[in-house]
Amino acid sequence: MLIGLAGFSTVFTSCTKDPVSNLSNDESRIYITDHDSTVNFSNYKTYSISDSVAVIDNQNATHELTASDQAYIDAVKKYMNMAGYQLVSKDATPDLGVDVNHIVNTSTGVISYGDYWNDYGGYWDPYYWGYPDYGYYIPYAYSVYQIKEGAISVDILDLKNASKNDKINVLWTGLIRGSGIFDASVADAQVKALFDQSPYLKH
Amino acid sequence: MKKIKKLVVLSVFICFAFSANAQQGSLKFGLNYNYSFPMSGFKKDLVSNNSPRGFIGELMYSFNDKLAGGLLFGFQDYYQKYPRAIYHLTNTQDISAVLSNSIQTTPVLLKAKYFLTPTSYIKPYVSLAAGANLIDFKQYFGEFGNSTTSVGFRAQGGLGVLIPFKKTSASGINIGASYDYAPYKKNGYKDLNSVNVQAGVVIELR
Repeated sequence: MLIGLAGFSTVFTSCTKDPVSNLSNDESRIYITDHDSTVNFSNYKTYSISDSVAVIDNQNATHELTASDQAYIDAVKKYMNMAGYQLVSKDATPDLGVDVNHIVNTSTGVISYGDYWNDYGGYWDPYYWGYPDYGYYIPYAYSVYQIKEGAISVDILDLKNASKNDKINVLWTGLIRGSGIFDASVADAQVKALFDQSPYLKH
Repeated sequence: MKKIKKLVVLSVFICFAFSANAQQGSLKFGLNYNYSFPMSGFKKDLVSNNSPRGFIGELMYSFNDKLAGGLLFGFQDYYQKYPRAIYHLTNTQDISAVLSNSIQTTPVLLKAKYFLTPTSYIKPYVSLAAGANLIDFKQYFGEFGNSTTSVGFRAQGGLGVLIPFKKTSASGINIGASYDYAPYKKNGYKDLNSVNVQAGVVIELR
């Protein structure tokens, strides 16, 4: 009976409106943010941002700096500065470290965002931030997403308390998914959306 | 729930209680364009847009000049795109997205139709129907969607008129309206209730 009904329904799906084809590129995009709610972000003042983007493919990472990557890094700098944080070099003991990541397709077309965290030390060597003996830790329960067509993520790390915690805590994550996001001309608007929905992220 | 059971029992009874006289009646097929207005929880929580995309088919057997019973089947597509908004997924996690709801319903109901003035040229009728409602619900955040298919209960009360092509003809034009009760208790939603208006043709098969 169920199969019959399902078949009957399938015959008439041609009468339906396709929600995805009815979206513009802008409408297709989603912005997901998460953060450590125990942290007061105003307690941090300075930050440094990575000078390249980690391209994560099937849990392996290379680093690159295309025009699109540079546009995303510049946009993150812009909105971090607008939030009241001061950009310093990574040798100046910044309170926060910021990584930008480009997650691409895998051979199977699907990766789990949960796996992304398990291998974070492989993408960004803690040595880069001056804490070679520490691992990364995400103190909040980040949901698992199936990523099929790529995404851009921005992570904010707690370098100020790394020594005290014996690890580098991830304080905030932002994820951008959807059509046409790997384009320098749209980078500013994408990063702005992440910061707009994170009003707690300010000095 | 007791009301629902009573409606089902009544519909089944009306359709089959007169089967002994089945060979004496006529079999009619009706095909109607259907325009649907979501109501109550459906309109409030899922889709407030009316749907012009649907049809209803009927295969009805006339037990006598007043009473007919048979099968109703149909299809309706509902769709709504909401402007971008921020949704709180957990106490720390937020998502900004354009939310789209796409719902297709396929009712398969047992239906009874009672003609109030069978000897008049224009034949007004009232109807009752109950049965299964196949529901395909897709919800999208941006272009990323989830789909769930389920089967629920559906009951319908309706009224309309049959306008024969000729005075002696059993075939004609149908114009009707119905209220459809369709509970949908999933993810905090309540129902897929709707008001429907339809127009089409009825053809006597034998």
